[in-house]
Amino acid sequence: MALAATLIIVNYNGRELLERSVPAALAAARHAGEQAVAVADDGSTDGSIRYLATVHPEVEVMAFPHRGFGHTCNAAVAAAGTEAIVLLNSDVVVSQDFLPPLLDDLAPDVFAVGCKFVNRDGSLTDALGNRTSCQWRRGMLYIHHETDPNLLTETCPQLYANGAGMTFLRERWLALGGFDRLYRPFYWEDVDLGYRAWGRGWRVLYEPKSVVFHEQGRTIQRARTRERIELMSAKNAVLFTWKNLLDPALLRRALSAQAKWAADDVLIGGLPPRTRALLAALRQLPEAARGRVREQRARVRADAEVLAACGAWP
Amino acid sequence: MSDRGPTALLLTFARRGEEEEIRRALASLAGEFAGLRSMAVGTPASAPVLRDLGVEQVVIYGEGRGARETMREAKAHGPEIAAVIYCGPGTKGHLKLEALAVSIPTRHIYRFVPGAPARSIGRPALSISVAGKALLVAGSLAVGATVCAVAFCWLRMAQLVGGGWRARRP
Repeated sequence: MALAATLIIVNYNGRELLERSVPAALAAARHAGEQAVAVADDGSTDGSIRYLATVHPEVEVMAFPHRGFGHTCNAAVAAAGTEAIVLLNSDVVVSQDFLPPLLDDLAPDVFAVGCKFVNRDGSLTDALGNRTSCQWRRGMLYIHHETDPNLLTETCPQLYANGAGMTFLRERWLALGGFDRLYRPFYWEDVDLGYRAWGRGWRVLYEPKSVVFHEQGRTIQRARTRERIELMSAKNAVLFTWKNLLDPALLRRALSAQAKWAADDVLIGGLPPRTRALLAALRQLPEAARGRVREQRARVRADAEVLAACGAWP
Repeated sequence: MSDRGPTALLLTFARRGEEEEIRRALASLAGEFAGLRSMAVGTPASAPVLRDLGVEQVVIYGEGRGARETMREAKAHGPEIAAVIYCGPGTKGHLKLEALAVSIPTRHIYRFVPGAPARSIGRPALSISVAGKALLVAGSLAVGATVCAVAFCWLRMAQLVGGGWRARRP
């Protein structure tokens, strides 16, 4: 029997995006056998909640004060009552038949399954979140998003499921503690979650049969300047390594690269502001250290095994 | 009379999104110097982009060719113009390109900044910019090294107190 699922659309001032994403989610939920649809609202001030109450009264609205994406996701998953959860960004429009393959893939050793993300025109150019893996370059860990359509035809393991469209078992999410607030306000929380799931012995899968249309970054770009987005992403990339690389040799290698990283602002330029990112990460060092201790208590796979499983052992 | 004009060495990282600025630099220099020939230093990845934009000669850096060898080859072409192409607003960063422009003995040096007209700059002025930015690099390295040393000590200490790093087998 198929799992009962709740499709949770996470929204922050995305009323006009909801006009496209909610009807598509409702159609997909009906197609998959009357699954539930909810909108987790992160304190919107643009009339999103009024719009939902007026136009889509069948949608459950979980209204939270504005605390950021990760916090709202955690609160919404905790409040949901089904075994399986599908998290969706408000700029994601699902295809009608996207749900059954995701639920079918939730085997006992699987934490999460990610969708196939395509642009609104169906293309894969610059699409993020497909068959994710990580790569080492000059001592730094970089995330790779596959864009070759020939490599996106099979269900396969991936590093993490993009938070814009992921399915998982609620119980496992709660066991992992959900998205870590270390990565506030946004970016890298889903990479961290996937890495931690692998570290606990679970798998994360990519499901190409579950197609969703994503207006990449629309939700974040609406609210932030490009410079701030780049700074937060670079800061969180640093924090990810500080928290998750438990192997001292790997940590040393990453830190050596980060020490030289700062000079790239001047040597190269036009890059994310790396010196500021390092200093911003430093302010959260105690929090990263606490997360690191939590991780080492729960890990059953070493970094080498996690990275090898995701195709990135250096 | 020869129709061979001077050679311009384009100094650019040729990253995605910089194509328009490279095109603008080529057009601007071609308008100023009749019969202009163009060359650039590029990586194996950026070389095809540069050639597609109309750069006639690309000296490859990387794939086993060191900086010294690349510089020697670039100088051997005898460029008379160096054009530093910046990718952001203003002339922040880009020390690598400015240092190249200073070290190659060309007659003219131009700076191309997006959204601003091309500007000629003298070698002494650019040398001062290079020296200032070199100091900034030293400062950035000091900041980076300090932050990372503090982070390493703190994280390792937390880990040791927390009970070792090896994964616990199920």
